[in-house]
Amino acid sequence: MNPVYFSLLITAVAMPVGIWWRKASYALVIAGSLEMAVFTLLGSGNLAYPLAYFSLIASIAWILISIFSMTYSAGYGKWLTPLFAMTVFGMMVILESSDYVTFIIGWEIMSIPAYASIGLNKEHWNAAYVFMVFSEISTVFLVIGAIFAVQETGTMDFRFQSLTSDLPLLLIAIGCMTKMGITPFMISEWLPIAHGNAPANDSALFSATMTLMGVFGIARIMLLSPSSIYLGFFMLAVGVLTVFFAALFAYVSENMKMLGGFSTIENNGSILAAIGLYVALGEGVLKTYLLAVIMIFALAHSVAKTGLFIGIGTTRKENFSEVDSSKNSFLTLGWFLVTMSLSGLLPTIGGLGTWMLLESFFMGAYQYGLIGIASVVAGSMIALAEGLASASMMKVLSFSQVHGHPKGSMKNSEGYVLLSTGVILILLFVLANFLIQPQFISGLPSVLVYNGFTIQSKFSAADFGLISPLYVLVIIIFFALAAYLVFDRRKGKLRIVPRWNGGVDFDQYYTSFAYASNIRLMLKGILRTRIRDGNRQMSVVDVFWFAMQSFASGYRRFARQFAYRVMNSSITWYMIYMIVAFMLVLILAFVI
Amino acid sequence: MQYYKTARGNGRYIGQTRSYTIYSDSIDSPVKVEKKPADIIPGELVFNYGPSTGGMIESVRIALSTPGEMIRSVAVDPTYKLRTIKLSGLSLKDAFILVERINGYHSSSYQAAFLKAVEDALLTEQNTGLDEELILQMELERIRSHLNVLERLCEPAGFGVPYHQIAQMREEVTRVISSIFGHRYFFGVHNTPKPSVRIPSGIVTRTKDIETRFALLFESLQDSKIFVNRLQGNGKIEKVWLVGPAARAAGYKYDARIDSPSLDYGRYGFEPYIEDGKDAFARFLVRGNEIFSSFAIVNQIISNGRPDQANLMNIHGTGIGAARVESPQGDLFCYLSINNGSVERIEFCSPSVSNIIAFEQSMQGNIFTDFHFNWESFGIWISEAGVEIE
Amino acid sequence: MRTTIWFLKGLRNGKKTEKFPKAHPEEPPLWPSKLAGNGTPECPTNAIEQGKWNAGKCISCRLCLPDYKPTGDQSSFRVSGKFPGILSRSFYLYPVDSGTCGACNTELLSILAPQFDASRLNIFFTNTPRHADALVLMGVYTEGMDQVISRAFEAMPDPKLIIALGACAISGGIIGKRPHLSKDSVIEIAGCPPSPYTILEALLRAREGKR
Ligand code: SF4
Ligand code: SF4
Repeated sequence: MNPVYFSLLITAVAMPVGIWWRKASYALVIAGSLEMAVFTLLGSGNLAYPLAYFSLIASIAWILISIFSMTYSAGYGKWLTPLFAMTVFGMMVILESSDYVTFIIGWEIMSIPAYASIGLNKEHWNAAYVFMVFSEISTVFLVIGAIFAVQETGTMDFRFQSLTSDLPLLLIAIGCMTKMGITPFMISEWLPIAHGNAPANDSALFSATMTLMGVFGIARIMLLSPSSIYLGFFMLAVGVLTVFFAALFAYVSENMKMLGGFSTIENNGSILAAIGLYVALGEGVLKTYLLAVIMIFALAHSVAKTGLFIGIGTTRKENFSEVDSSKNSFLTLGWFLVTMSLSGLLPTIGGLGTWMLLESFFMGAYQYGLIGIASVVAGSMIALAEGLASASMMKVLSFSQVHGHPKGSMKNSEGYVLLSTGVILILLFVLANFLIQPQFISGLPSVLVYNGFTIQSKFSAADFGLISPLYVLVIIIFFALAAYLVFDRRKGKLRIVPRWNGGVDFDQYYTSFAYASNIRLMLKGILRTRIRDGNRQMSVVDVFWFAMQSFASGYRRFARQFAYRVMNSSITWYMIYMIVAFMLVLILAFVI
Repeated sequence: MQYYKTARGNGRYIGQTRSYTIYSDSIDSPVKVEKKPADIIPGELVFNYGPSTGGMIESVRIALSTPGEMIRSVAVDPTYKLRTIKLSGLSLKDAFILVERINGYHSSSYQAAFLKAVEDALLTEQNTGLDEELILQMELERIRSHLNVLERLCEPAGFGVPYHQIAQMREEVTRVISSIFGHRYFFGVHNTPKPSVRIPSGIVTRTKDIETRFALLFESLQDSKIFVNRLQGNGKIEKVWLVGPAARAAGYKYDARIDSPSLDYGRYGFEPYIEDGKDAFARFLVRGNEIFSSFAIVNQIISNGRPDQANLMNIHGTGIGAARVESPQGDLFCYLSINNGSVERIEFCSPSVSNIIAFEQSMQGNIFTDFHFNWESFGIWISEAGVEIE
Repeated sequence: MRTTIWFLKGLRNGKKTEKFPKAHPEEPPLWPSKLAGNGTPECPTNAIEQGKWNAGKCISCRLCLPDYKPTGDQSSFRVSGKFPGILSRSFYLYPVDSGTCGACNTELLSILAPQFDASRLNIFFTNTPRHADALVLMGVYTEGMDQVISRAFEAMPDPKLIIALGACAISGGIIGKRPHLSKDSVIEIAGCPPSPYTILEALLRAREGKR
């Protein structure tokens, strides 16, 4: 038997164990993930390059989240842990699946406990219902996509194999995109709502790895599909639109977890845009390069997003206004690195990912015809959104850390987990040379950058851009040290005087809401900023959410009636409903 | 009281003194104006400005409540530098020294309001020589005060050249004042045995030269898009209770120079300049154009030679008087009761109090960068708003 | 010809700065300036006692005319104590209005007018006491500003000076009492309000490190 399957086994055991022994269960998940990572690295998994990366990325995230959960999840009841393990198990099934049926089964195993975790966390089940609706929509598309894919082969062989049309990719992409919270059909807001209402460790799990499964699903089928300029454009357009709006909404969000959710959508949008360019392009160097871009970006996003939600979790709060962050230098440093990465700044893997992504669009501009034009537009939109994303991350960092009042209730170990996440982000950056295909690795010996130390972007034989992670890190450290040595305040050259606020006491701090109001007012048209009751209050309305809300409330009405009649809204009944739904989907999947 | 009647709200509303409500034609019993404390909405912050900050000429604390970027409400607190000036019981002569220093930058207006109230209380007819001298003082003061406001408007716009050019004109006007009245701020003009006013030769050429240079500069400022954009649409306000340039910029023909009997401007052919933009730009235009009309009056008076003035400081008597004059920033009202040559009760209603309220209201809904321009456009003086006169 | 370029407009205006302090003031005001005379006439602030005129108390009310007459001499200021030499390179002032009538404030700002142009002499204003070399106190003591003033002084980095500007700040003038910190002032600039000539000359003297 493939040794990677042991990881599935271990994680399966973690589920029942979690009901009684919380920490043991998380330890088992860690062991399972470690197992998976190691054997994937050794090359014995089901996946080869580039898909094997997904197993690696997910494992890193699971390990970090599990360590964090050991302390964080205390106080969330006994159900959270087994549900967590089950979600991870579902994702492992997805990653190791070699046919559509297993893939969809994994998809459901992953999703169903997620509704429950959200529902258990809140008195109101609305968020869980919202999550459920969109998950089921996604499953429906996956199932239909799978049917078309299998039909194409003309047999009843459910295994993944090469496709001749782009229809299955379109359907499955829509299914996965729904899970990723992508914008088309105006569904941009369910993900932040769902992720924002889950416990932070689950938010991390959903944002960092569940959406990764969406990317994985698309990538899986993308590699089997022929290139298609129209489908490519469709994905590119949707991706870019998503990036822009998600960045905007993240910036104006007052709920930290929602901000994280929007940031996830924004990153997924970037990946989708890259996938779109990949699908649109014919064979060539740029296409190969794009594979690397997708992997590095997904890696950066998943690890950093794990860190972001862990960081948010340490505040034990949801809104910026109520943050009482613990003062802990490890924590602050970790926060700093994680937000740097999500802002797309060096020296982190996020910086590298952003650079590579933008490079690919700028190189796309050299392509003839529509692709060239689309690339320029997409590239500049993404660059714009990256700017906004940096501002959002600044907001997270300053309003959760700098302005926090030091009386948080987190455990010190959580600070270490966040710091490790940050360090991993730097390490991944420095080691990126080993993660990228050798054809994009070179050096500049003439300026003492030895072979193997630079990463090239190129769309033909000649290189387009260059970056050398190790050297970047060394230079940054050098200048930081130099500045520190020159301006070290202990040398007594600085005069330190009290703050000045017009001569009166300091009693007000800038608020996170105020921080984002410039964009609220500037983009009044897009954000539909309302100023109510004689300048009294400002609020932002999401244009897309209007449409979806009516849909969701319709479903909620149905669900509520269903709950009143059948389930008496008790959790036990809800569990039973879940299990039945799960069974049904399994049976359906097998019948198909 | 010869000019003022005690009646129920005749004429336009001017403001409040400690014990009266003042209208343009009458004095009424006071109305209680309650100031609500500013409410704070969650997520909002109160941005503190002052009381001591380099951006303001005087000490004043301004609290800007904002949900970010946009200003929801503003509260101006002029009481940090609250001075208590005790006038009751003093002889007219001694009281006069203090009255000059209520608002040193507009001391002429205070002198005029006080002297006209004395005249109203104790004399039966107006002294045209005194009127002419007071009008000369006040119009020169107005020119300087308006120049000061325009100068302050150039500062936050970062307009170094016009800022300094106006500063230069302002200093020149101050020197003209100093050469005519002996003191750069008119202090002590009426304390001296006559004559304290001297019209030096060549002074008309000098004022005409300043006027010509100002005309050029004023035109250039109006041509500057960057400058105009900062002011247009900023701090709009249109209220019937507005006074001074703020009222005239909102289309109201309110001006004590035409609707108060205290000083007779009739013979100078004066007509108020009206704008209806209601914003900081309109206030800028009103002030700029008033500089020309003031120069016209000044030039008429100084080319006639030295006005014949009377010294009111040493008269004795008992009576009640009231006067209202147009200070550079709006109506200035003085109520005075004199008992045997000394002040029994004195009350002022100064334009800055009204302008502060107008500023607070006009600021709502504007953004932060508008703040300085709007503040300067009202020409508020804290010394006359944050003062207790006893 | 009209130009829309402010820089050219500025050049066209020519140089307006006086030679002062190298030359005599071009247009010194009579009030305020040093008074000279005999006797002890009635004075509302007791600026004349036993035949001696005290600049710091005089408010230029002219009640002592004709016994005392203005000389036009603008140097009515007092500099005491020793000053750090570093001020000669740049001298940053932070004005604080304790309770003025507004005239001292504008006279102080007048030193920036082209006729005086304080910045050519390396004298500047700053918007925060944290960057200031000297605190310029103006006006009489007021309750509200008392604490603000001590905070401003605290917020200033060493070395720091206090300058009392105007009769109110030096002696309380005719309005009230002088502000508390004014007793520590090392420069007193007399006048009600002091003329820009006096202010500029006093600041320059202080900066030279004169005893
Ligand atoms: S001018 Fe006034 S204050 Fe000065 S000495 Fe003469 S009487 Fe006294
Ligand atoms: S010293 Fe004279 S000019 Fe200065 S604030 Fe006092 S009263 Fe006004």
